[in-house]
Amino acid sequence: MQELVSVISLGSIYLLFSLGMSLTWGTIDVLNFAHGSIFMFATFCAYLILGKTSLPFLAVVGIGVVVGAVLSLLVQVAAFEPILKRARNKRSAEMQILIGGIGIATIPLAIAQVQTKSNPFGLAASTFHVTVWHLGSARITNVAVFTIVVGLAIWGAISVWLRRSRQGLALRSIGVDSETASLMGINRRRLALGTMAVSGALAGLAGVMFTYTTSAITPESGDTLLIKAFAIIILGGVGSMAGVAFGAFALALVETLVLTYTSGSWVDAVAFGLIFLVLLARPAGVFGRKEVRRA
Amino acid sequence: MIDFFNANQVLVQATLSGLVLALSIQVPLRMGVFSFAGAGSYGLGGYAAALLVIHLNLNALEAIGLTIVITAFVGLLLGLVISRLNGLYLAMATVAFDLIISVVAINGGTFTGESTGLYGVIVDFTTTTMFIMTVVAVLLVALSERGRTGRRTQAVRDDQQLAASAGVNVRRYRLMAFVVGGALGGLGGAMNVMVRTTIGPLDIGFGLVVLALTMIIVGGTMSWKGAVLGAIIFTWLPHFLDFIGQWQTLVYGVIVALAAIFLPRGIHGVIVDIIRWVQRRRRGTLDKPAPDPSGDPEPEQLLPPSGTSSISPSAPQQPIRGSVARSLLARGAKS
Repeated sequence: MQELVSVISLGSIYLLFSLGMSLTWGTIDVLNFAHGSIFMFATFCAYLILGKTSLPFLAVVGIGVVVGAVLSLLVQVAAFEPILKRARNKRSAEMQILIGGIGIATIPLAIAQVQTKSNPFGLAASTFHVTVWHLGSARITNVAVFTIVVGLAIWGAISVWLRRSRQGLALRSIGVDSETASLMGINRRRLALGTMAVSGALAGLAGVMFTYTTSAITPESGDTLLIKAFAIIILGGVGSMAGVAFGAFALALVETLVLTYTSGSWVDAVAFGLIFLVLLARPAGVFGRKEVRRA
Repeated sequence: MIDFFNANQVLVQATLSGLVLALSIQVPLRMGVFSFAGAGSYGLGGYAAALLVIHLNLNALEAIGLTIVITAFVGLLLGLVISRLNGLYLAMATVAFDLIISVVAINGGTFTGESTGLYGVIVDFTTTTMFIMTVVAVLLVALSERGRTGRRTQAVRDDQQLAASAGVNVRRYRLMAFVVGGALGGLGGAMNVMVRTTIGPLDIGFGLVVLALTMIIVGGTMSWKGAVLGAIIFTWLPHFLDFIGQWQTLVYGVIVALAAIFLPRGIHGVIVDIIRWVQRRRRGTLDKPAPDPSGDPEPEQLLPPSGTSSISPSAPQQPIRGSVARSLLARGAKS
C-alpha cells in the first residue's frame, strides 16, 4: 500500500517532467537536452529567492513555473531557432539541436555547481510545511497529493487541448508535416514558442514538486531525470499523451520494485536498460503509431 | 622541445587520450551513424585494461591489444543490436550504453572497486609509446577518409538508399562504424589508465561525451584534422587560461552551444571553406571559361555505365561524393 502511494507520487513527477519533453519532441521536433537543466535551475532560482525572503507554497511554485518558461523560451530563441534556420536538412538540424542542447545544459549546471559547491539544496525556507496524512495503513504527504492532482489535471488538460482545440490540431499538424502546415496558414514560430514555454513551465513545476518531495536536490539531478524522461517517452511512444502517462507510471513502478528488492544503486540502470529493451522490441513504443514521417 | 614535453607530460598524455576518444565518436558521426558509444567503450577499455594488468599481469602491449579486441567485439554486438535505429533514437540508445557502463562500474563490487575504482595499474608504458600508438590510430583513420573507403563512407553518410543502389553494403559500413568506434574508445581508455595507474566511475560517464563532442564540434566533424585541432585546443586551453578556473565547464558549454549554432562544421570546416574560396578566386582570374572541377558534375557522368551497375572491384570506379549524392537527391526531388 505504501509502495503504491510512492509509485503514484513519483510517477506524477515523472509525468510532469516528461510531458513537456514529449510535447516538444512529438510536435515541433525538438529533443531538448537542456530540459533537465531547466528543471534544476528553476528550482535553484526559487531556492535563491527563498534565501532572501520567506514565501508561501504557491509563490514558490509560481517562481519555478515562470523561470522554467522563460529559460525554455530563451533556449528556443537563442539556439534552436537559429539552428533550424541555418540547417541544411532535417537530420543535421536534429543533430545540431541535440549537441547545442548538451552545450546549453552545462551552463545552468555549472552556475548552480559553483554557487552551491555541488551540495544539495532544498526549499525548506518557505512558509510551507510538509504534513503527513494517514490513509489506512499508508502515509501520504500534502505535497504528494498536490503533485498527483496537479500532474494528472495538467496531463488531462493538455491531452484534451491537443485533441479537441483548433490550436491543438494546428500543433499536431506541424508534427506531421510542418511545411504543409505553414502553407495552411499556421504560424509555426508562434506555436513553437508557446510549446517551448509550456514545456519549460512544466519542467519548473516538476522541479519544485520534486524538491518538496525529496526535500533536496543536487545540481546534477536534472541529468539523470532527462535520461529517465527519454526512457518514458520511448516506452510510451513519441508524441502520444497516453503513452507518456503509461511510461511515467510504469517506470516509477519498476524503479520502486527494484529499490525494494535489490541493494546498491542498480535503480539507475532500470531506465537505461528499458531504453534498450523498448527500442529493440517495439521501437514505436507501446502507444506509438506507425511512423509516417521519417523515412 | 624535449624539455617542453617532459615538463608538460601530463598534458601531452591527456591530449593523446582525448584525441583518441574524440576520434572514437567522430568516426561514426562521419559515417552518418549518430553514436556516442565511444565514450562507453573508453570506460570499458579503461576498466578492462586495468583488470587485465592487475589480475593477469599482462604487459602494456598485450593488455592494450586484448582490450581493443574486447571493446571492438562489444562494439560489434552493440552495432548488431541497434544499428537499425536511426538519428536521435540511435543517439540516445548509445547514451544509455555509456551510462550502463558507469552503473556496472559502481555496482561491480570488489571486481570493479565500486565508487573508489581500481588502483595500482603499473606497467611499463611510456609517453613515447602512447604517442606512437596514437599516431598509428590517427593515420589509419586518415587513410579511411581517402580513396574508395572514403568515398563510400561519404555516400553512406549522405544518402543510404543512394549508396545502396550504387552497390555499397550500407549495413556493413554502419556496423564498421560501431566496431571502429569501439576499438578506438578501448585504445583511448586503456592508454589513459596505463599512464594514470587508476580508474574510477568519475573518470567515465556522461562527462566524456560532452568532452569528446566539445573537441569534435569545435575542431570539425568531417576530418581527423578537426579532432586533432579540438583535442589540442581543449586540453591546453584551461592550462593557459588559469582564470577560467571553476568556470571551465561553463565556458566549454557556451563554446559548444555557439559552435553547434554558428559553426556546425567547426574550425576545420571554416579553414577548408577559406582555402576553397581562395582557390576558386585564383582559378577564376586565370581561366574563366574552364569548368569548375570541384563543382557538381552532371548526373549522367556519375552513374556507372550500364552493365556494371554495382561497384565491384573489377568495375571502373566512379566517384561518389557527398556533394554528388546531394545534387542527385535535389534533382530527384525537383523532377
